[in-house]
Amino acid sequence: MASAIAAVVSIIPSSAFAHAADRGHVLLLPTGHYLAAGAAAVAASFLLLGFVRPGTLRAVLDRRLRLPFGLPGVRLLLSLISFALTMLLVAAGFFGSRDPLSNPLPLFFWTLLWVGLTLAQGALGNLWAAINPWYGPCRLVRPFVGTPALRLPRRTGYWPAVLGLAGMAWFELIDLAPDDPSRLATVVLAYWLTTFAGIALFGYVRWLGRCEFLSAFLGMVARFGIVDAGGRRLALCFPGARLQSVAPLPLSGTLLILLALASVTFDGLSRTFFWLGLNGINPLDFPGRSAMTVINSLGLAGAFVALAAAFLMAVWAGLRLSADPTPPLRAAGLLVWSLVPIALGYLFAHYLTLLLVNGQYALVAMSDPFSLGWNLFGTAHWNVEAGIVMGHEAAWVIWNLQSGAIILAHVVAVSVAHALADRLRPADGRLLAGQLPLGILMVLYTVMGLWLLSSPTGA
Amino acid sequence: MADDTGIFGRKAAGLSRRTALKGLAATAAFAAGPGFVRYAQAQSSQPIRIGFQAHRTGIGAAYGRWYEKTTDAAVKLINAAGGINGRQVEIITEDDGTDPKRGAEVVAKFAGQHKADVVYGTLFSHVVIGSAPAAGELKIPYYVVSEGHHVASTKLNRWCFQPGITDVKSQIQAMAPWIAGNVGKKVTMIFPDFAFGYDHRDYLPPALKAQGAEVIGQIAIPPTESSFTRYFPQIPAETEVLYHVMVGPAVLTFVKELGEFYGSNKPQLFGFIDSLEAVDINSPGLEFIDGTHFWEGSPRYAQSNDSDAQKAYRAAVGIDDNGAAVGDAADVSTAAHMFGCWETLYVIKKAMEDAGYQGPQDRAKLVEATEALTEFKEGPEHPQGDKVFNGKIHQVFGHQNISKVEGGKLVVVHRTSIEDGLYEPEGDYTTMPL
Repeated sequence: MASAIAAVVSIIPSSAFAHAADRGHVLLLPTGHYLAAGAAAVAASFLLLGFVRPGTLRAVLDRRLRLPFGLPGVRLLLSLISFALTMLLVAAGFFGSRDPLSNPLPLFFWTLLWVGLTLAQGALGNLWAAINPWYGPCRLVRPFVGTPALRLPRRTGYWPAVLGLAGMAWFELIDLAPDDPSRLATVVLAYWLTTFAGIALFGYVRWLGRCEFLSAFLGMVARFGIVDAGGRRLALCFPGARLQSVAPLPLSGTLLILLALASVTFDGLSRTFFWLGLNGINPLDFPGRSAMTVINSLGLAGAFVALAAAFLMAVWAGLRLSADPTPPLRAAGLLVWSLVPIALGYLFAHYLTLLLVNGQYALVAMSDPFSLGWNLFGTAHWNVEAGIVMGHEAAWVIWNLQSGAIILAHVVAVSVAHALADRLRPADGRLLAGQLPLGILMVLYTVMGLWLLSSPTGA
Repeated sequence: MADDTGIFGRKAAGLSRRTALKGLAATAAFAAGPGFVRYAQAQSSQPIRIGFQAHRTGIGAAYGRWYEKTTDAAVKLINAAGGINGRQVEIITEDDGTDPKRGAEVVAKFAGQHKADVVYGTLFSHVVIGSAPAAGELKIPYYVVSEGHHVASTKLNRWCFQPGITDVKSQIQAMAPWIAGNVGKKVTMIFPDFAFGYDHRDYLPPALKAQGAEVIGQIAIPPTESSFTRYFPQIPAETEVLYHVMVGPAVLTFVKELGEFYGSNKPQLFGFIDSLEAVDINSPGLEFIDGTHFWEGSPRYAQSNDSDAQKAYRAAVGIDDNGAAVGDAADVSTAAHMFGCWETLYVIKKAMEDAGYQGPQDRAKLVEATEALTEFKEGPEHPQGDKVFNGKIHQVFGHQNISKVEGGKLVVVHRTSIEDGLYEPEGDYTTMPL
């Protein structure tokens, strides 16, 4: 049948509705200046930091503002609510509206969890530890199950989480219908059960800490947040300050962060005229995801390999330039933490419009999860204002927010890398030389991030 | 309680079994709430089920949103007036991701899983073409709102209809008499170098020739282009009308650069609003289109002579006088096309009533009843205007609007006759077996 369709396609002229809005307005903005300014800002930060001893920077980052209260003991309750909500959403996925913008499951999962919660983790701290949907149920079943039967070998590292995140990225970016409610419900339910089984076999801390990719990745992102829950009372700190006390990640953990950044980057790249043209796809007549399965699978893998190679080489070159005896993978495992703010900046910039519009759809869908005419929270009849991201004024505001986030993220990343370098062992007087390769990589990544957001898109 | 026992660690202790069981039971009860019961009841009331193949995600999502709003508005009215054959209409929306393969899957889901009576609402041509074979094989009527020439070409199959919007061949052809008679006889065309542009490249010249005008230049722009200035010197100096149908994100750049190229001394410009559908024509960069003309299927802006039906339609869908969402001025609608959803739903209603449609066993009768339709009168069911339906090629024909950009609005200056857009049928679906 495919060949029959192809034959008909070639015979029949088609109409096209390649959309002029959104990116069209951005194309008229002086984005080239932003690219240059962004690169200059990150480079200047790098050079200025050269005058600041990492120890001094660390001292600043170690400052805390103590709050007069601690974490309330509601973790069990929150997790049980979260579990119930998860199951409710799964049920909605199977039995609610088939429309992915009316069914709450795709909206909650892709917009509020994958984008919204990740950003909240990055801004605040590990909310996920309190609201993950496994903790509560595990506490409930604890009396009935014994001690974990199996021990997770140490060499397992974060590899299961890397696989999980790769699967998630593929599902999001390449699968034909990741928003289909029942398809997503199946995936979510299967993943919940698999994780629950993993916990039963290997124990909660081990499995969620290193194998379950959401917890592993969100836990890493949370290290950037400003809420320090380490003590009895909460404290506020500078963004990224808590990254100073991180342990170097094993290679698998390094790759987990790199994969997260690569997947967001590739999501942006895969929509550009550049990528489509490179692959012989007419960007004004985008054929749909089904035509891109192989191309984008290779592209996603390629983006990951390219980023990982560039990062590891930059770290290795930095050690060579500074005559630092630290083992390269150990240094990479430490410095990779400086990519966390970049991943957050990319995520914010890339999904800002999605968050603004689909966030509204989520609020509406929440009130009537099964499309039965309910109005549980009084939001069922809210008018979704898509105009919030449309028109030249919105385009200008959004572009400035996006480019600001990208540039700021890289400036912070350069700073974090500089502070982390205090834990390396460069030869005397070679500290800055050692950071130069990674600094250059960050300047280039700033330019690429801004370019991805400002070049014409067709998918 | 410490989290280092049992499943969390080594020692097993903690919540009592009783507390744990209560918690589990409460959670299960929450998950299996009253929604399931009501859902089960809804299945037995037997509404007419229309499968809406919607572009909710993917490249067509901006259009899909307005197709959905229009569909909802029409169905609300249809149901308030008693539904179809005394049964309420239920819309089942499935997202096709604006993808042809997914489109075919969705058609199969409508026919199988959802037991839909018909499938409806597709816009993008490649999704129509990808889905049509599935509709034919599963013998489910497939009503598209695409404006492509695919249905009328009679190269799809007998189950495919386009009764609510005219096709691009008819639209282009209908422009020729007005262009030749009012703006100029020497026309240069600028179009993107792929199928959409080829429709215009191929259909316009013969239509203009029949009106005593001629195409003196055809400039095909590669689709990956995002700057156009270097193409403009190819425009012949004696050009009286520049016919442009650029699409995509670089349209604003195209207009801006064209303005910089010509300054105030420009030829007449004629375009299709497809280029700027859902885009505010008062956006920076578009100043140059002031005073130029566009094709519009249905006018974006409220006109001084709008019929009551047109006013009621606009109010029901929720667009203001500027064609934007009521209360959300930046959300400009796809007004030129989305009326087709409204009118198609009323055609389905009419055909089902004519066929005495009861259920999926009557689908073939529904096809024949649709083919037997000949004309639709302007009114609440057809607010865009009168239509003529050709049952042999499953395609509707209607009036087109030519609008001038004046004072930041699109003002209709001419309405073509239906005859302007008629052409010789290229085949006959009714001879195909059902």
